[in-house]
Amino acid sequence: MTERRYRLAVDIGGTFVDAVSYDEQTGEITVRKAPTTPSAPAEGVITATGATNASLEEASVYTHGTTLGLNAILERKGAVTGIITNEGFRDIFEIARGDLPSGSKYDFQYRRPELLVKRRHTVGVPGRIDHRGRVVTELDRQAVIEAGRLLSERGVESVAVCFLHSYANTEHEEAAKSILTEAFPDLSVSVSIDLVREYHEYERTSTAVADAYIRPILGRYLNDLEERLRSRGFDGSFLIMRSAGGAMTSEIARVSPLLTVFSGPAGGIAGTISLGESTGRSSLISFDVGGTSLDACVIVDGAPTEVYEAEIEALPIRIPVFDIRTIGAGGGSIAWMDKGLLRVGPHSAGAVPGPICYGRGNTEPTVTDAALCLGYLAADEFLGGEMDLDGEAAVRGVTEKLAEPLGMSTERAAASVFDVLLARTVGAIREITVERGLDPREFSLVAFGGAGPMLAPLLAREMEMPEVVVPAAPAVFSAWGMLMSDLEYDVGRTVLTMLDDATLAQMQGVLAQLESEADQVLAAQSVPPDHRVFMRRLDLRYNGQEHTLSVELEEADDHESVAAKFHEQHLERYGHELDEEVQILTARVRGVGLLDKPAGHPAGERSSNSDQTAGRVGERHAFDFATRRRRLFPIYERNLLQPEAEIKGPAIIREPTCVTVVHSDQTAVADRLGILVVR
Amino acid sequence: MDGATVEVIRHYLNSTAEQMRRTLIRTAFNPVIYEVLDFGISVYDRRRRLISESSGILSFLGANDFAIHKGVEKVGVENLCPGDVVIINVPYWSGAHAADAMMFTPVFGEGSDLPDAYLAVRAHWMDLGAKDPGYVLDSTSVHQEGLILPAVKLVKQGVVDPQIMAILRYNSRMPDTIIGDFNAQISAMRVGERRLGQIWDKFGLAEVDAAIDMIIEHGARTAREAVREMPDGQWSAHDWLDDDGISHDLIRMAVTVTIEGDKFTVDYGDSDPGVPGPVNIPFGSTLSQAKNVFKSLTTPDTPANHGHYQPLEVICPPGNLFHAVYPAATYTLWSTMVSFELINKALAQGMDHIAASSGSDEPGFMAVGTHPDTEEMYSVSNNEGIGWGATPFHDGANALQHLSTTAVRNTSMEVLEHKSPIFHERLELRRDSGGAGRWRGGLGVCREVKWLAVGELLSMKKKTKTKPWALHGGHEPETTNTMIVWPDTDRAHRARMERFTMQPGEGFRNYSAGGGGWGNPLDRPIELVLKDVLDEYVSAEKAQTVYGVRVSPDGAATPTTARLERQAD
Repeated sequence: MTERRYRLAVDIGGTFVDAVSYDEQTGEITVRKAPTTPSAPAEGVITATGATNASLEEASVYTHGTTLGLNAILERKGAVTGIITNEGFRDIFEIARGDLPSGSKYDFQYRRPELLVKRRHTVGVPGRIDHRGRVVTELDRQAVIEAGRLLSERGVESVAVCFLHSYANTEHEEAAKSILTEAFPDLSVSVSIDLVREYHEYERTSTAVADAYIRPILGRYLNDLEERLRSRGFDGSFLIMRSAGGAMTSEIARVSPLLTVFSGPAGGIAGTISLGESTGRSSLISFDVGGTSLDACVIVDGAPTEVYEAEIEALPIRIPVFDIRTIGAGGGSIAWMDKGLLRVGPHSAGAVPGPICYGRGNTEPTVTDAALCLGYLAADEFLGGEMDLDGEAAVRGVTEKLAEPLGMSTERAAASVFDVLLARTVGAIREITVERGLDPREFSLVAFGGAGPMLAPLLAREMEMPEVVVPAAPAVFSAWGMLMSDLEYDVGRTVLTMLDDATLAQMQGVLAQLESEADQVLAAQSVPPDHRVFMRRLDLRYNGQEHTLSVELEEADDHESVAAKFHEQHLERYGHELDEEVQILTARVRGVGLLDKPAGHPAGERSSNSDQTAGRVGERHAFDFATRRRRLFPIYERNLLQPEAEIKGPAIIREPTCVTVVHSDQTAVADRLGILVVR
Repeated sequence: MDGATVEVIRHYLNSTAEQMRRTLIRTAFNPVIYEVLDFGISVYDRRRRLISESSGILSFLGANDFAIHKGVEKVGVENLCPGDVVIINVPYWSGAHAADAMMFTPVFGEGSDLPDAYLAVRAHWMDLGAKDPGYVLDSTSVHQEGLILPAVKLVKQGVVDPQIMAILRYNSRMPDTIIGDFNAQISAMRVGERRLGQIWDKFGLAEVDAAIDMIIEHGARTAREAVREMPDGQWSAHDWLDDDGISHDLIRMAVTVTIEGDKFTVDYGDSDPGVPGPVNIPFGSTLSQAKNVFKSLTTPDTPANHGHYQPLEVICPPGNLFHAVYPAATYTLWSTMVSFELINKALAQGMDHIAASSGSDEPGFMAVGTHPDTEEMYSVSNNEGIGWGATPFHDGANALQHLSTTAVRNTSMEVLEHKSPIFHERLELRRDSGGAGRWRGGLGVCREVKWLAVGELLSMKKKTKTKPWALHGGHEPETTNTMIVWPDTDRAHRARMERFTMQPGEGFRNYSAGGGGWGNPLDRPIELVLKDVLDEYVSAEKAQTVYGVRVSPDGAATPTTARLERQAD
């Protein structure tokens, strides 16, 4: 038997495929990139995989993150999808909630985006359950078959099934699923209760629709990729990253494709958590800045906040996801003048044509062009010198489009672009921290993505956060996070009952059942029993209130201790607690299958030079935000830095895919694990 | 001050309103706040000029602007202290009915004796002791519409006044809910207060003032430019409100819009005088609806500030339907849903990019009673979707909320059935309900509900006798907004604004209206007509008789003679 010494993680993004491999024998980690291949996505993945030095025959685990499902929904390239629901209610999906997206509230000529399901592909069948789960009308099994036949005839490949109150009684949905699967083996079937067991019929339906819409294509893609991997000798576990962190086997991913939609950003959060664990930090905010958007997520006590309210273009998806706040601001965001005011974003120059300095035809200055003007980027250093930038064009663009209308110098205009971007970012971070009673000054900011390390030190100063942590290889940190993931599986059930000793005792029964479901799923993924860990939680709220807080349930808990935890959390988050009864809305279990993980962090190639000034490779003028003037910044090569080296700002620490900018009131320290900390 | 610093400060101010909004939603008790988003949050500078706001009900936002002036005037600016919270619900001052009380708090910069800013939160109070539980549909005086709170300090320097709270509690049929919501609104204001303090600390009061001046000036300039691009002229339009809930007489609602250079004047004076029933509109609410329509016409894409409304003047003499005076009943002031599009109707005579009318009025229904399971009072409501009017560029949207409540959501059927003993038998789009046209009006819906235990149904219809209007040869929808109570029985009754007691097994069927069409339906491309038939938005019969397209059972579409003749012309 071949010895399995490698672990691989591959993250497919819009522009690049990032691959990370870890050699368990030597602890060596390599990082590679390959272009994304949209027409045959598996190809780019295989290319990136092959570029690492890991042999697939010797790989034990291959973890994959893919945005294929997300893109299919955004680009309307999914399966032809139909809906089977209750008779008389075929338009639940189209009627939706009737509101306009928040940016469009004054658009009285609003045009809805194309629906994922045509009305001709929606059918109602007799059968009705009430809010307590009692069957009011039996399901008409023959009508289900006829509906399936009609939809198949109309070219539907995939069906979403959602009935009213199915969270309270699953039998009609389960029956419909087995009827359809048996009668129409080629039809893909997604039922709402497999995905979400909570009330709100529209949100449950839209979740099932999204699932149905991507299920066939994701299945085909995973088959294709898995086959290519196996044909190259891979015989280990093929895992797929989930939107709420953790990984699942490809079998589970084929059954629950929707859980993959936000797997890219989840990799970054998983990486942040693991970085926190290995460095003893438990309060972190992840800060991932790419070309078009910025993602931030709060991690308290080593655990990120999760929500069940994800959205794709106003389409609600009730799956567990990390509570990530995204704003449309990144390196490619366009800065423009609006009648005397300087705006940054929301439009982006994207990767094509990209910033002015890419020289591909764009003439609108972007954040990246401003960074060139400020001296943070150099024309001949981009992507490790692989791509030449047109610095003069960037300066000209910022001067003509921004500095002249603002009546200020080019440099001040460029600094102002950063100021405005920062103001937007501060708002976003405040919304996810302070409003929950959290104080950003108690958090470490973990910066990654191409532009994260350049902006994070500024943000930290602005919000008085004590430190910025820049992991090694920040541009591929999401893939790194995937490498560090365990297997996870979530299951939950709406219960809606007041919290007291009797109901809590009942909950133990429900939770035990959920746990056994989760246990079976982990067992099916070949997790040995002693590697299975379960967490029980209750989503609680004050009677009469809608939004819930999730409380972890421990062995010794009684209803008073559970209520006390809830009151405490409510006080912490909202500033008050109430003299009200507490209601249990949902019981949840998370099953975790622990995997062996690398101990270290990706390290660049270290030189053995012991000189403390090692790594200093040059200097140039750049803008110092601490003094708000131009100064001489020494430039360091990150992979030449000595462990424990202390670099006083101002300084620019560069690496092939990004720069960390340290201002004159800050100091950067390279620690032994290859992490850079700016304070 | 430079345009970059202003933008930085603007982002901070906008985020303040957003953080208040998030806090309110998360902590509210009442589904009308957290589910329907029936609230409005506004931030004002020391001159009570709007600086930023956060989404909720559009009409609340505009009304806040009016109420903040009245509120400060009544209390006296010199009597306001840090930590105070004032509540105001006199309709003629607050621009809304008594249940939509507004609370505001003054915020003081360091060393200031007078407030430097104000934060306002308006949300629906579930019950303030009006003559009937739920909505009041037949009041003839403000004294039947709930406890009156004439700009009183509920919180004095951070301390809640226990006596006023006791008055509130004992005047409400749902004391726990209103106290819970009160706390949520206070939390939202406290978050806003902290945030403003931080902004002042960071930039300095004077700098923030300078930025606010520029933000408002920028808003004014943008709006003026937009008005200048509109043609000068004067246009009038009118529409009809069914009745006032007391008599059965139609009520005329009329507007004259005058555009002259960068001035935009809206005059409601030609409308009927005030009426006995509760459909009268406080002037603050009139102002608010005009502001919202004006904003949609001029600066729809940017968050609102005081400057955006500078070109707008709204006129209406006291005593008119649109300028209620004491003691006029105003509880169902959503008569503004019927008048909301009047400005557009007038402008459509002089401009060609206006959309046809939406299905207009549809505040939905309310169910009130005592829940048999809990023996507690319930009060649930739903705002029904309507078809929107066809535009010159595309079909009207199906089943959206009314234009004046675009941030509001319908209530989930599963939630309604949990909270009240009602049971849905149908909720579907209503085929052929969109007005025909080159661009088709959006579809309305049909909802059928029955009661499982004795309870009350409140219907709130105000426009069932006249149809939504169409443009450029488009058709009005063939059917209107109607609610049939006890359908398919001898007692079948076409509801207007009224209350009914429902016995178990009894119910209603509600039809919301579709939108008006735009352009001649014979000019609608044949493939769009075919698509509408296949998707059952339009029947094959209407496709043939109205659109001139014959669709065979196998899905082939051919033009009729009428269509061919039209093309030949």
